Amino acid sequence: MAETSPAAPAAPRPGDRARAGGGGRRSLGWTAALPLLLFVGLAFGVPALALLAGAFTSEGAPSTANLTRSLQGAYLTALIGSVKLSALVAVVGAVLGTFLAQAVVTSPLRRLRDGVLTASGVLANFGGVPLAFAWIATLGNSGVLTTRLGLDAYGWSLYSFWGLALVYLYFSVPLMVLVVVPALDGLRPQWREAAQNNGATTWQFWRHVGIPVLTPALLGGVVLLFGGAFAAYATAAAMVGTVVPLVTLQIADALTGNVLIGYENVALALSFDMVVVAGLVMAIHLPLQRRSARWLR
Amino acid sequence: MNGAQVEFRGLRRAFGTTVALDGLDLTVAPGELIALLGPSGCGKTTALRCVAGFETPDAGAVLVGGEDITRVPANRRDAGMVFQSYSLFPNLNARDNVAFGMRVRKVPAAKRHARAAELLELVGLPSQGGRYPHQLSGGQQQRVALARALALEPSVLLLDEPLSALDAKVRVTLREEIRRLQLSLGITTIFVTHDQEEALSVADHVAVLKDGRLEQVGTPAEVYDRPATPFVAEFVGTMNHLPGRLDGDQVEVIGQRLPVHGEVPAGPDVDVLVRPETVLVTAAHDGDAEVVTASFRGASVRLRLRLADGTEVLADLPGHDATRLGPGGRAFLRLVRRPVLVAPRATAPAKVPAAGV
Amino acid sequence: MAALTPAAPPVTDAPAPARRPGRPRAGRGWRGAVLVIAAVYFLTPLLASFVFTVNDPVTGFTLDAYLEIFSAEGFVSSLLLSLGLAAATIVTVLVLTLPAMLAARLSAPRLRPVLEVLCTLPLVVPPITFVAGISTVLRWGPDYLATTPFYMTLIAVQNPSFPVVLVIANVVLALPFVYRALDAGLGAMDVRTLVEAARNCGASWPHVLLRVIIPNLKSGLASASFLTLALVLGEYTVARLLGFQPFSVWIVTISGSNAAMSVAVSIFSLLLTWLLLLVLSTAGTRRRRQS
Repeated sequence: MAETSPAAPAAPRPGDRARAGGGGRRSLGWTAALPLLLFVGLAFGVPALALLAGAFTSEGAPSTANLTRSLQGAYLTALIGSVKLSALVAVVGAVLGTFLAQAVVTSPLRRLRDGVLTASGVLANFGGVPLAFAWIATLGNSGVLTTRLGLDAYGWSLYSFWGLALVYLYFSVPLMVLVVVPALDGLRPQWREAAQNNGATTWQFWRHVGIPVLTPALLGGVVLLFGGAFAAYATAAAMVGTVVPLVTLQIADALTGNVLIGYENVALALSFDMVVVAGLVMAIHLPLQRRSARWLR
Repeated sequence: MNGAQVEFRGLRRAFGTTVALDGLDLTVAPGELIALLGPSGCGKTTALRCVAGFETPDAGAVLVGGEDITRVPANRRDAGMVFQSYSLFPNLNARDNVAFGMRVRKVPAAKRHARAAELLELVGLPSQGGRYPHQLSGGQQQRVALARALALEPSVLLLDEPLSALDAKVRVTLREEIRRLQLSLGITTIFVTHDQEEALSVADHVAVLKDGRLEQVGTPAEVYDRPATPFVAEFVGTMNHLPGRLDGDQVEVIGQRLPVHGEVPAGPDVDVLVRPETVLVTAAHDGDAEVVTASFRGASVRLRLRLADGTEVLADLPGHDATRLGPGGRAFLRLVRRPVLVAPRATAPAKVPAAGV
Repeated sequence: MAALTPAAPPVTDAPAPARRPGRPRAGRGWRGAVLVIAAVYFLTPLLASFVFTVNDPVTGFTLDAYLEIFSAEGFVSSLLLSLGLAAATIVTVLVLTLPAMLAARLSAPRLRPVLEVLCTLPLVVPPITFVAGISTVLRWGPDYLATTPFYMTLIAVQNPSFPVVLVIANVVLALPFVYRALDAGLGAMDVRTLVEAARNCGASWPHVLLRVIIPNLKSGLASASFLTLALVLGEYTVARLLGFQPFSVWIVTISGSNAAMSVAVSIFSLLLTWLLLLVLSTAGTRRRRQS
């Protein structure tokens, strides 16, 4: 396609570099990167190794006892609870975010689009404790809406699985908007017209072209949302304490010694479980992202 | 496949305050290739999109095969379209792109694959069916797009500047292949382009549009040799504007009297429109014109000459005739004796024509 | 903690959407409905929070909650600590990543995938698991290192008045976002040509870096800095579990005593983020106009 878009800025191609980079320059390059490599090795690698070592050590000897324990009883419930909550938030957030993004992208109002994108940039970063407090003030036990509308009479409680989901969506939907707007912009009007020209209805266009083309971007968004909800700790801690079983809350409890002494290594095993789940989800994300970039460029 | 007649009747379309089509009347005969030619914003693409159904005219009608299709939805029209670029579905390979329309119409898989293979062969890509758009070059993408437009055997083929995003070389080969294919299928084809060379080289008829109106329609030779209006003369090919004086139905220009063709404007002072290839140049050391620049173009050379009064004239002559006419050389100029177009005098004296194609 | 994303500054140079004729009114209904629902969902908590903070059961309207913030114990010290941590984190992360990323583009192409993987890894490790690893390492101190000089280092990085360990952790957490922001910025300009042109004109390397690359990378640097700032100001997990008290932890500490004030502080921190983003996006627009 390069030949058809002469205006595109020539991105430096890997092959180009051979001409300039002699052996000396190349080692200089690695020298420039050395501080970063050392830093990541120390600040990230050492804790990661410590986590691994701890997770597989019990009473000073190598064992899988911690791991086994982390996959039983309350810990297992917490892990499943986290996965369920994150999956729900990811899927619902992705669907709502996509509709919102499409509404904005197809709108003729430029200002609406700019406004929603800016707001999304802020709200996607609006997490943690402040978010929890804002919702507690709104729908908590003595929240403004709860008391004015008498919601507690209907059995409403924010401090529940569904309450958490509602709150997590507050940063997940904007995140999805940010992820999916570029993909929607990438849907060329020619594709819709070409489909119509070939006799397709609007629905047939979406089924055969629109949705397949968007799928990598949408799945990528689902993965990011899952990761965000899965890792969230502050919001949950400030809102529900330990009412809703979540793996992040369990790890924090074990680490701060709120439970029996000697459970630190179970916390490490739980952390290991989390990393495995997050790693698997991310492993889906990266190839999808490449594919989407290729289609939508 | 048989072509149908296409007729534009008083087509009007405005976008806000810009009028894209201002009462366009045009008939395209069955099986012919007509080029809609004009500068950007002249309404040529809007006219094409009215046939495809992507635009609804504010007034007027589009008839295909005698039937008014102005209100028929785009997906039920009998016209295949090739877009400027990037119109292939990125998630489908070439074969599935071509078969898209048949898939929508629920043609059995085996049948549509066979037909797609046949079409890909027709456009010269027999072995590229499994490739995805991003793996194809720009020219190959447009070939696939052409196959896709032909897949449903439409009675009209619409080409919306299909070559404008391609390299010069690919552009020439592909336009010739489009023409060959169009002739063998006998399909009525409307080819929108802003490139006059492209229009002249492939079309049966060229329709020149300006500001949403038809300026002239005719064969390439008619449009080039007998432009109906100064605009057409200017837009198609290169034109000299030489100062002239009207005298009855004749005009006096660089010391020659030539008959006037077409409308005669008022006032004795006029611009005479002359093609560079009708300027005859004879090298002579005492000639009254001086060569300013000479650009060699292979078969021909284009000279820019300056007359004693400062008027600049472009002249094309065969390459081997121009060996003695480098910059600084002198020559006599003469015009081929034939009727010329004249236009009201531009306020600026002796406009120098752009050294375009 | 919410996932941080590159805050998209409003895109103003996207191609205008092509006219989609023939269906003028069909789409308008659902679009309006979606926008209204979104507006209700996103505005309600903000408005309700505000009402919550200014509503006094006895006197009606009051702004006391907001006034109390500034005199509350620990407000100034925790906010200063957070800002200090943010500044240190931003400087550190940029000093570490920028040379490495430039080198990857200029002279060591094989470095690029290495950097990409390194800078993506922290995304896979949720902060809570990261802090689990860090606290394990810190516990080694008394256990294994008490007799070595490393012990003093471990003690020093945990100085509560300025915990360097939080800077280190924040840098790791910020890496993915900073990498993406800078990578986008570097991708938008042709670093190689710029550098070669500058070198050709006789510029020294420091000059190239300060006068050519950094000015051209301004919006990338601004968005990397903003993301890092937002991350550090909101970072709760690591600080809380390691027992430090920056702003985000302080909010929780005071919430027990004064609910209205803690909500007021929440609104305050949201406005702060909004303000920072506005500054960033106007800086971005000004840059675009220059070019």
